[in-house]
Amino acid sequence: MDPSAAVYPEQRAANPYLPEVAADPLPFYERLRRECPIANMEGLDEGTHIISRYEDVKFALKHPEIFSSDLVAVDIGQDRPLIPLQVDPPEHAKYRRVMDPQLGPSVIGHLEDEMRKLANELIDGFAGRGAVDFHAEFSVPYPCTVFLQLTGLPLDQLDQFLTWKDNIIRPEVDFGDIEAATRVRHETGKAMYSYFEGVIDDRLANPGDDIITRFVQAEIDGQTMSREEILDICYLFILGGLDTVTSTLDCSIAYLAQHADRQRQLADDPSLVPHAVEELLRLHTPVMQVLRVVVTEHEMHGVTMRPGDTVMVMLGSADTDVDEFGHTADDYDLQREVNRHLAFGGGPHRCLGSHLARLELKVALEELHRRLPAYAVAEGATLDYSPGIREIASLPLVFDPKAVA
Amino acid sequence: MRLVFDAEACVGHGRCYALAPELFDADDQGHCVVLVEVVDAAQADRARQAVNNCPEEAIRLDP
Repeated sequence: MDPSAAVYPEQRAANPYLPEVAADPLPFYERLRRECPIANMEGLDEGTHIISRYEDVKFALKHPEIFSSDLVAVDIGQDRPLIPLQVDPPEHAKYRRVMDPQLGPSVIGHLEDEMRKLANELIDGFAGRGAVDFHAEFSVPYPCTVFLQLTGLPLDQLDQFLTWKDNIIRPEVDFGDIEAATRVRHETGKAMYSYFEGVIDDRLANPGDDIITRFVQAEIDGQTMSREEILDICYLFILGGLDTVTSTLDCSIAYLAQHADRQRQLADDPSLVPHAVEELLRLHTPVMQVLRVVVTEHEMHGVTMRPGDTVMVMLGSADTDVDEFGHTADDYDLQREVNRHLAFGGGPHRCLGSHLARLELKVALEELHRRLPAYAVAEGATLDYSPGIREIASLPLVFDPKAVA
Repeated sequence: MRLVFDAEACVGHGRCYALAPELFDADDQGHCVVLVEVVDAAQADRARQAVNNCPEEAIRLDP
């Protein structure tokens, strides 16, 4: 299926949740922006709006008084809003004031050596084979191990955490069975709350040098956070910490595996890696969209959005808009002079983990291209991208094992 | 030329201090701190690069 066929201008509707769109979203985004800048979600009533142009996306992200993050309508198994994701300003800023420093550039910078060591251990694990499922053997364990070290959560329970976040983000139910998905999410939510109750008890009794301990001890206006507040942070951390960098690595390496010249460029000149990280984030925007709920009536391109309506803010579409990025918007261009991409969102809710993610990606791309010779997607492999957050279920790569550094 | 920074607009993407660490630094929250307010011709390119890559358009370079 041509992904642009998932835009239906006559009905002013579209469906970004199809696997074909997730695999190749650019033609979909282009048609959406051009023919249908405010679209309804196909199959839903008129209360769901897809926003796709850069200027509109940016406006939505920067105006929480119109487009709120307090997503009571979006059920991801939670009992209360996730902190800080689903909290609006001004309350939001109070949480960010204590949370941002724990994930700020100076704290995160100390993790670089550890990340590099880990990346090399993972490469050692498959280097001799000349073949790897990059998703299973690098994209998943690399950011997840860093995250578990940061949070002080046990590495031997990673599979449990991964099952939980997958149950919430992409529950394995029949396509479109919303009831079953809701059931899975609620069961998972319950298990997560119960598990993290125990973690909080442990951190109160045995404070450690981990980020959960620091949140348990942090004070807002002279008071520590409540148990519920810490739980609402932990819930979000499992979702944010274990999924998005995996997806970014999948999308980035799949792209580079299919562009040998661009791999070589990074191997020849590692100083280009930070630019490559930004350009891969922009072009592939793994988190295709974020959600908002309308709280103040607002009109966009002749469409009235009413309080209670859900808005799908297409970050991926904004990031490839020719009106912002020019005629090279769909190209991978390391010389790009203006790159105000929104892969980490924007406005007050800018991704809390963006400094961690950027450093993880930089270190991974440096070490992979320093050590691996030319790599390619294994012949006959099909890459299945999951909609919403673009993880690739399996990413088989081949390379010459004798040429590994 | 003068770098003009809007602290209200900054949300801590950190593009400025990643691209031009000689002109910008981060505070503990990861928000921008302008180190060099008046930039000379030699620094102008890097200043412009930081301005061009701020998703919040929180930095301006005035003549």
